[in-house]
Amino acid sequence: MKRTMALFGAATALAMMPLAAHAERGASGHLNIIYWQAPSILNPYLSGGTKDVESSSLVLEPLARYNQNGELVAWLAESIPTVENGGVAEDLTSITWTLREGLLWSDGTPVTSADVAFSAEYCMHPEGGCAQAARYQDVESVEIVDERTVTVHFSVPKPVPYGPFVTAQSPIIQRAQFENCTGARAPECTDANFYPIGTGAFRVVDFRPNDVISFEANQNYRDPALPHFATITFKGGGDAASAGRAVMETGEMDYAWNLQLAPDVIATMAQGGRGVPISAFGTLVERIEVNMTDPSPDLPPEIRSTRAAPHPVLSDIRVREALSRAIDRELLVEVGYGQAGRPSCNLVPAPPIFRSDANDNCLEQDLDRARALLDEAGWVVGADGIRVRDGRRLTIDYMTSTNAVRQDFQALIQQWWREIGVEANLRNINASVFFGGDPGSPDTFQKFYADVSMYANNFPGTDPEAYLGAYRCGFEPRPETQWQGENINRFCDPAYDALHLQLAQTASIEERGRIGRELNDILMQNYIIIPLVDRGRLSAHSNTLGGVVLNTWDSELWNVAEWHRL
Amino acid sequence: MTAPHPTAQRPLVQVRDLKLHFPIYGGFFRRRIGEVKAVDGISFDIYEGETLGIVGESGCGKSTAGRAVLRLYEATEGSVTIDGVDISTLSQEALRKTRPMMQMVFQDPQASLNPRMTVAGIIGEPLDEHTRLSGAEKLARIYELMDAVGLNRDFANRYPHAFSGGQRQRIGIARALALNPRFIVCDEPIAALDVSIQAQVVNLLEELQEKFGLTYMFISHDLSMVRHIADRVAVMYLGKIVEVAPVSRLYDAPLHPYTEALLSAVPEPDPSLEGTKQRIVLKGDVPSPANPPKGCNFCTRCPKVMDLCRTVKPSTVEVAPGHSVACHLINQNGIAGRTGGHEAEHNQTHNQQGEVA
Amino acid sequence: MFTFTMRRLLLAIPTLLFIALVIFLLLELSPGDPMSDMPLTIPPEVRQQMRLALGLGEAWYIRFYKWLYLFSVVEPSHVLANMTGYDWLRVEGQRILSFQTRSPVADIIAQRLPQTLWVVGLSYLFGILVAVPIGIYSAYRQYSWFDQAGTFVSMVGFSLPTFFTGPLLILICSICVGWFPIISDTTLVVDSWANFLKQLRQMAMPVFVLTLYNAAQITRFMRASMLDNLTQDYVRTARAKGMTERIVVLVHVLRNSLIPVVTVIALGIPTIFTGAIITEQVFRVNGLGALLIGAIYGSDIPMVLTLSVVFAILIVLFNLIADILYAVLDPRIRYD
Ligand SMILES: Nc1ncnc2c1ncn2[C@@H]1O[C@H](COP(=O)(O)OP(=O)(O)O)[C@@H](O)[C@H]1O
Ligand SMILES: [Mg+2]
Repeated sequence: MKRTMALFGAATALAMMPLAAHAERGASGHLNIIYWQAPSILNPYLSGGTKDVESSSLVLEPLARYNQNGELVAWLAESIPTVENGGVAEDLTSITWTLREGLLWSDGTPVTSADVAFSAEYCMHPEGGCAQAARYQDVESVEIVDERTVTVHFSVPKPVPYGPFVTAQSPIIQRAQFENCTGARAPECTDANFYPIGTGAFRVVDFRPNDVISFEANQNYRDPALPHFATITFKGGGDAASAGRAVMETGEMDYAWNLQLAPDVIATMAQGGRGVPISAFGTLVERIEVNMTDPSPDLPPEIRSTRAAPHPVLSDIRVREALSRAIDRELLVEVGYGQAGRPSCNLVPAPPIFRSDANDNCLEQDLDRARALLDEAGWVVGADGIRVRDGRRLTIDYMTSTNAVRQDFQALIQQWWREIGVEANLRNINASVFFGGDPGSPDTFQKFYADVSMYANNFPGTDPEAYLGAYRCGFEPRPETQWQGENINRFCDPAYDALHLQLAQTASIEERGRIGRELNDILMQNYIIIPLVDRGRLSAHSNTLGGVVLNTWDSELWNVAEWHRL
Repeated sequence: MTAPHPTAQRPLVQVRDLKLHFPIYGGFFRRRIGEVKAVDGISFDIYEGETLGIVGESGCGKSTAGRAVLRLYEATEGSVTIDGVDISTLSQEALRKTRPMMQMVFQDPQASLNPRMTVAGIIGEPLDEHTRLSGAEKLARIYELMDAVGLNRDFANRYPHAFSGGQRQRIGIARALALNPRFIVCDEPIAALDVSIQAQVVNLLEELQEKFGLTYMFISHDLSMVRHIADRVAVMYLGKIVEVAPVSRLYDAPLHPYTEALLSAVPEPDPSLEGTKQRIVLKGDVPSPANPPKGCNFCTRCPKVMDLCRTVKPSTVEVAPGHSVACHLINQNGIAGRTGGHEAEHNQTHNQQGEVA
Repeated sequence: MFTFTMRRLLLAIPTLLFIALVIFLLLELSPGDPMSDMPLTIPPEVRQQMRLALGLGEAWYIRFYKWLYLFSVVEPSHVLANMTGYDWLRVEGQRILSFQTRSPVADIIAQRLPQTLWVVGLSYLFGILVAVPIGIYSAYRQYSWFDQAGTFVSMVGFSLPTFFTGPLLILICSICVGWFPIISDTTLVVDSWANFLKQLRQMAMPVFVLTLYNAAQITRFMRASMLDNLTQDYVRTARAKGMTERIVVLVHVLRNSLIPVVTVIALGIPTIFTGAIITEQVFRVNGLGALLIGAIYGSDIPMVLTLSVVFAILIVLFNLIADILYAVLDPRIRYD
């Protein structure tokens, strides 16, 4: 933790350093970036994949984005509109953005409010299959006020109106380029999708899908001294290990993204001495989701794992709490994530205003308390050490996706649960099936044909309203919804729903923080979700690369214009 | 050992104590663990212009002997002199230069012709190597040879597979004749052919012999055919020659029990005599040449076997001019004096004494 | 021969149709979803919209029929137009689009092909050049130390999978010694000696690994075929003719031994295109093999289907070529 902060500080300090030696655009020469997942397209509206969003963020920019602390900063906009400065209407149904003055596209044409309005139109087209449609939810219209000003009108009051045009996921695209590419014609515009014209520090020279992208400095970039690098090779594909190796051991690459590797592997690589791992934390939490409904295969398919059949064992809060208490989260972090993880007792670990400290007692493993809870619940230790009640053994089906760290976690947790007399049957499922959402498959995380399931999730941006909203009644996957839905636990509590409604109507950030923490605490204290690890992002950069500020709230390449050669 | 031939011709080929043992490798490191004594000490002469027939059951080493004589196999021991040149000691290059003199006609005309060469290529190739003929001269020679063996000149550019068996053997013969050889080993040249064609090929060989004054070593297991073509016949059994004699003598008065057995199996051309003939049926299998019996090679199957045969190898004895036999029976019955050298005289004497006692 | 070729080509059509259908159905029935790559933060309604935009809303037979039409009419017209430069050949309209890149599958294949040909094709060529002489000499000197050593090396090359030798080589040559890069720069344009050297260096390891593997296989074939022929009577005939050993071995024996080897080599050519999938993955050569793997992971049905069927066509075609080569090389064989 301390080390992370130290690194963080160092990186920030570097970013702030005066760069007299590199005062000229392109003076740093060539930059090599490697993403072990290769970008397939440079239009983030047609692909939600992180690799695609982040690679296109070198070219396409939003009006505003989050910095490394999760704070909103103006990007193409002059300033952040708020209720206080009058940018956001009192009734929270509209927001007015003003573009900076003198912005140019990389082809030299001016950026206007028409481009901004078009970006919304493009993503909101019903046949376009826009991957970022969620950011434009409830947008009624985008009104062009003048050359540089647009007003976004919402159909409902939006306490957090920073969906459209904010973050790398909803950038501004050039109307002239995409005009004939809306709706069903979107995929026909291969050229536009591969070579988008943007306002970013770089422009695409050559794009080879799923392989490599060449960029060069955008000569029309708004800051004449930036970017420091003249050209970028953005290599994609392979695996995290060789990407890490290429930065830290052989020095072939300057920056490697998201090295999801075992801590000891990272440590070995770091000994290569040519680069350093850096980490930062966002909202990604590895957790165990508890099924509040009965997944028994004996039930008919219409009611199996639906709220019609409450879980016979896990409906008891004491059992759920016992399961959580038995876990040693510190050890999990050490085994699975090292520098890139820290124990979490919350569903919403960040940003600070939403982070509750009411649940920190989970940091301590407490087997005795866990045993006591189970005793109290009437589960008696049987002959083989597994608890029994009314002839039923305390056996739990524990499902997750196939992934080395997750299987390690499963084994450890199985062991701890065994110590308190709970037997866990482990199962792991190929990730593309598990997360595939195929209603025909019995093994998706939505169908939840298991007692508990483990995976990680996070929320985009800094506001957890929608994220917390998933746990309302009626949002659970069920046969009628083709098993789509985000309330994986099938949790339902009217009080929670009422509190969430309150959040949806609150604009004040302090008040939102309080309600958000309270919602988080309800879920935590009911042990509906058993959080395990707050998973940070771990990337690596070369010793000769300066200016990197790892940002988990937006594209990792958000400040690439300021990256430079040391 | 061999007395001068009655016709007093000059021997063209002299084979002395020729042995060819194929090594057998085995075990993990492929070490030599034994040997197949395919040819185990044979000696004979072939006189200029004559045909020496070699007969024997399949597997007795006839082909190996033929190949060893031409040094297509490196002999284990012994010498072969052809036309005064000891070819067993020649260097590879010198040997290659001598090859035109001695040729071979193979048993399987299909396998012995390179499938990817045309007839003209097959016949003409040795001309490239050993002569300096121009293209036209070479072609003329090829046509000449094709005429000589009775092949249609138009087929010169065909591949071997397009011919019948008999025609293929003619190609093989034309090829052998290309360099004007003096000595040809014919290794069962007709065995793979239809009966109707066999006579044609044999007649062709005889014609050519007359025309070019060739000397043949004619290997066959067909005794009637050998009787027809050969002047003298050598009978082989398990890598050794058991009897050599002029053709009439051998067929009329075979001395070795093995020869008798072989001849008794030949169908009698005269049906009236068929009944009078007694067939000798040999029992058992031929022993493996890798592990021949201790005494006489034939002792395991000989109808007239004696105790002596099982322990002592018989020596070759010339019983009449040009007629030699290797059999203890001959020695005991005293049909001839012991003129030949004994292989193990002391040993033999000792045993004989034991036998008498 | 012509009728034989035509008949075989015609017979290949139903086979290929069947293969295409089977692959399509397999992809259809296999779990996995083109959306599974997307972050969980994308809500289900949006996913559903995206799925519809990919055309996944239609029944499978309609999608298969559409693909078939595009594959057999539209795409060939574009390939033809690109090759001849006659733009009027193009059949306008929709093309087979990859789910991942939303761009025409054929363009991506064309972009990837050179990398595969360079690395995998070159190593195939090297493999042949290395294997043939070794196979000849090994057979000629059977059980000599050379043959034993050759047998050992080819057994090693044969039995050590490239996913083992590859990383091993990377570990030794790139990480420890630092001779070669571990990631090949596919944008490198060979326009100077320095870049040419760079190209050589980045191709060295994958080419070496694949050459070892290919050479091992072909050596064994060459050796076995030579041994078969060396004991044939016609070799003895050639020796009896008094031909030099050189001619005996290199003309008589080799020419006959090459017949099966050449056909084996021809049959192996489609594997060049399938691109030694594993090796490409290991050395980060973004060729067709890597493309296929990526497409399979991403449930990119149009890409997987198109690539697989192209590979199937290549296999059928090279089988035919092998048969024809056999007849050309071996005068004994005629197809009528
Ligand atoms: N190249 C060889 N290697 C080992 N053994 C051989 C070889 N050629 C022949 N033999 C053996 O030598 C013996 C004689 O063979 P061969 O001369 O072909 O007999 P024939 O021609 O009389 O039928 C047989 O036992 C045979 O198995
Ligand atoms: Mg034979």
